[in-house]
Amino acid sequence: MNDIIPGSNPVTPASAQPVRLFAPRRLFEAFEGVFDEESFFLILSVFIGIFSGLAVVCFRIAIDWTHLWLLGPFPPVHNWRILAVPSIVGLVVAVLVMHLFPAIRGSGVNQTKAALYIFNGYIPFRTAIGKFLCAALAIGSGQSLGPEDPSLQIGASLASALGRQLKLSREKLRLMAPVGAAAGLAAAFNAPISAVLFVIEEVIGRWSAGILGSVVLSAVASVVVERWFLGSEPIFRIPVTAFKQPAELIAYMVLGIVGGVAAVIFAKAIVFLRPRLKAMPRWTQYFQPAIAGLLIGLIGYFGFPQVMGAGYDYMDQAMHGQYVWQLLATLAALKIVATTLSFVSGTPGGMFAPALFVGAMLGGAVGGIEHLLFPHLVGSTGTYALVGMGVLFAGFLRAPMTSVFMVLEVSGNYEIIVPVIVANTFAYLVSRSLEPIPIFDLLTRQDGLVLPSLEEEREEAILRVEDAMLPAPPIILSAADYIDAAERRIENAAQIVFPVRLQPSGWGVITREQIERRFKEGKGDHTIGSLIPAQPLPSLYPDLPLDSALRFVQSCPIVPVVNRANPQKLEGIVSSQSVFAKYAPPRPD
Amino acid sequence: MAKFFDKLFPRSAILVLVLLTLGAVVGFAVVGHLVTRYNANQQARGRRLYAQGLADLTSGNPNKALEELRAAVTCDRSNSQYQLSLGRALRDTGRLDEAESYLESLWQRTPEDGTINLALARVAARRGSINDALRYYHNAMYGIWPSDADGNRRKAQMELIEFLLQKNDLAEARSELMALAASLPLNPTLELRTAELMEQAQDYSDALAECERVLHIDHANPAALAGAGETAYRAGRYRTAQRYLQVAVNANPKDANLRDLLASTNTILQTNPFARRISDAERNRRLATAFEDAGQRLSSCAQQKGISLTFVKPAASSLSPPPGSAPPLASLQSRWLATKPDLRRLRYAEENDLPDVIMDLVFTIEQQTAQDCGEPQDVNHALLLIARDRDTADQ
Repeated sequence: MNDIIPGSNPVTPASAQPVRLFAPRRLFEAFEGVFDEESFFLILSVFIGIFSGLAVVCFRIAIDWTHLWLLGPFPPVHNWRILAVPSIVGLVVAVLVMHLFPAIRGSGVNQTKAALYIFNGYIPFRTAIGKFLCAALAIGSGQSLGPEDPSLQIGASLASALGRQLKLSREKLRLMAPVGAAAGLAAAFNAPISAVLFVIEEVIGRWSAGILGSVVLSAVASVVVERWFLGSEPIFRIPVTAFKQPAELIAYMVLGIVGGVAAVIFAKAIVFLRPRLKAMPRWTQYFQPAIAGLLIGLIGYFGFPQVMGAGYDYMDQAMHGQYVWQLLATLAALKIVATTLSFVSGTPGGMFAPALFVGAMLGGAVGGIEHLLFPHLVGSTGTYALVGMGVLFAGFLRAPMTSVFMVLEVSGNYEIIVPVIVANTFAYLVSRSLEPIPIFDLLTRQDGLVLPSLEEEREEAILRVEDAMLPAPPIILSAADYIDAAERRIENAAQIVFPVRLQPSGWGVITREQIERRFKEGKGDHTIGSLIPAQPLPSLYPDLPLDSALRFVQSCPIVPVVNRANPQKLEGIVSSQSVFAKYAPPRPD
Repeated sequence: MAKFFDKLFPRSAILVLVLLTLGAVVGFAVVGHLVTRYNANQQARGRRLYAQGLADLTSGNPNKALEELRAAVTCDRSNSQYQLSLGRALRDTGRLDEAESYLESLWQRTPEDGTINLALARVAARRGSINDALRYYHNAMYGIWPSDADGNRRKAQMELIEFLLQKNDLAEARSELMALAASLPLNPTLELRTAELMEQAQDYSDALAECERVLHIDHANPAALAGAGETAYRAGRYRTAQRYLQVAVNANPKDANLRDLLASTNTILQTNPFARRISDAERNRRLATAFEDAGQRLSSCAQQKGISLTFVKPAASSLSPPPGSAPPLASLQSRWLATKPDLRRLRYAEENDLPDVIMDLVFTIEQQTAQDCGEPQDVNHALLLIARDRDTADQ
């Protein structure tokens, strides 16, 4: 059983597809003449953003209310309630997950990605309800998880339900999930650009210009709704940040390295424990969230209630230098433990906020130590806490672009862009060298699924036409050449196929055999142009992906590769052999 | 159920959009209602927590108060009063970064608010950041205050002056004091406080003027009399000081400080050979006494420093130092010995420059011995002060 669609076999996704998806009465039969599907999809994206924004506003209020109702306005340290609440709520959540909402375990990012690539955009509406209820209960009771990834899944689920109801085409229905995901995430984090980038990096897993417009529209619409109701106050108050001097980049580099190592420890702990807990007998799964809750409660009971819940208030305090570096380091370590416990127990909730929490604490701790050692070199610890958030994001979630933009969007301060880029790059590189596969990919593989990822795409060497291109042949004919003149030119040449420059533009191909036959037939006074079709051959450019050559090389002995600035200039040629040779696996030495 | 919705669902593009819009409107209404209730609930909780926080602050429990004020701000993030109180509490408990952050966010909303600017100025003052403190204090002085704008602006200005004095930026403090004095209402308490600040800024004549303004209204005001006496003394205007100090001591004979000041003033006035309205004989007597006192002070100081003056020879002239690199005390002794015979010439009316020559040497001796052996007592102290305030001593 996997966390994506329990009970379903990912190899045969048709079982999860709704029958109505391919119903004959499609909406766009009636839309003809009013909208095309593309235009309607853009408008629909705005509505998805609005509905997702409304849902996320309710979700955030639900979390706050649950937290106040269960734990009160202050963390009840050294109080039995801090132990009892997460344990009992953990039990309730386990029952709900196992009996009513089996698809809501975990963060929701992978489920949304699976919906896009495996289930034709299908996410049951029940998932949105279950995720809303259970994540609000879990986070409100103090489980160390965040609300962003659930918001993402709620948005995706709402969008999917709407798309199904409108009977969109399969292609558009697939895209509904990421559009809703971006809206949900943007509203949860009040950061539309980061949400768009995260959805591209982690949910869609590849750059696709086709969907970008819809994703941006939905993200912006949801943020507008969220701000309408909850105000435009940022989640954190940003400290006065400053980048003192270029030498300080060394300190940020160290932060990046430490963050990269911490991110790998965090990811490894989750990847190690998750399958082991899932392999335990089914009855134990009723108690896993409760035991996780009890252990997290114990951490809170003994004086570290900061690790409970999403912890935004504490990140805020860390950014304002309220904690000494020893406490910051302790909180970072305990948060890794607490989040690992919550996540591997199957409690629904996200890893977005915990990653930021660990990053902020770790950043503050590293900044504090560096400040002690090099007081003239290092600025305020608040700046390090802010940069640290991006560091963990880059190292743990492996979303380097999102991590940079997230810090910039949250802080609204472009002064720290260089430290953020330096620290995030080091964290990303260290994390990637220690663990090549990102956490979300590891989790999907544990679930028996293989989904595309931007990380894989980065690894892939893209073959281009220039890789298979052969040099331009020495003899190039012109369509205006006479056959007898051409015959004289090719007489002693080894070349069999000749590119022909057409007038006024374009290229054709003629073989030695064709020229010689016409010459023998006494048609030497005819032009080469009379022998070849008037329609020019398709030409390629050197920078095109090699895949584009495959369409032509089967029907044509050679395909000309021309210069983009001067299509009459032949850069080289490709043939079927040269193209297939590039796709052949390398020979073992 | 699905079929029911399927039938119900429209097949017109326009109708779909209308329905989606209606759905959004209904959604806004429902969520709006929910958010309003939630906000009302949170605001009520915020008010409770805020009241508790203030109570805890008053009862000297700042850490608990901070927790409560933080929770109050979380309940009602838009409430400026909560943020301001939290910012102040954070500042007073030394958490300056966080305090500044709260206050800065308030400032960005209402940069003209005097209260917020004053709170930020105090944070900057706690940090010791003169430029920021000046900026925020000035903003507070020219900002908008909900009530008693003049009083609050003056308070901010006085606080700024105190901060500048604390930072020893006397020039800046004096310019602020001039502006403050120009805008002061007729209020003895405020004027005396201003005079006190002027005195701290070593602007003694303006301080004296402030005290005299008070005395103009209330000529028997003991604080103003004492202030006027003390500032006149510091300004080197000893005759004025004597006048005020005498009345002040009469009014408050137990004040030892005033008595000491009066005694010192009397000594100065009785010692000063440049005093007007004294006879030539008296002037010559004062010159001779001052010369002898200076000689004794020089000998005792040299003894204290372990320098023998026994074999010092008189210089060629009372104005020129002896040849070679003799220590300053020996050089002064040499000049003192060279001048001593000239005292007899004081009785001659044509020796117009001699008193100045003698007193120049006396003042040089007093200043050098004060530098080498510490502040002198009694007559020597009086001579030292006359040396400092030679032109005004008789005013």
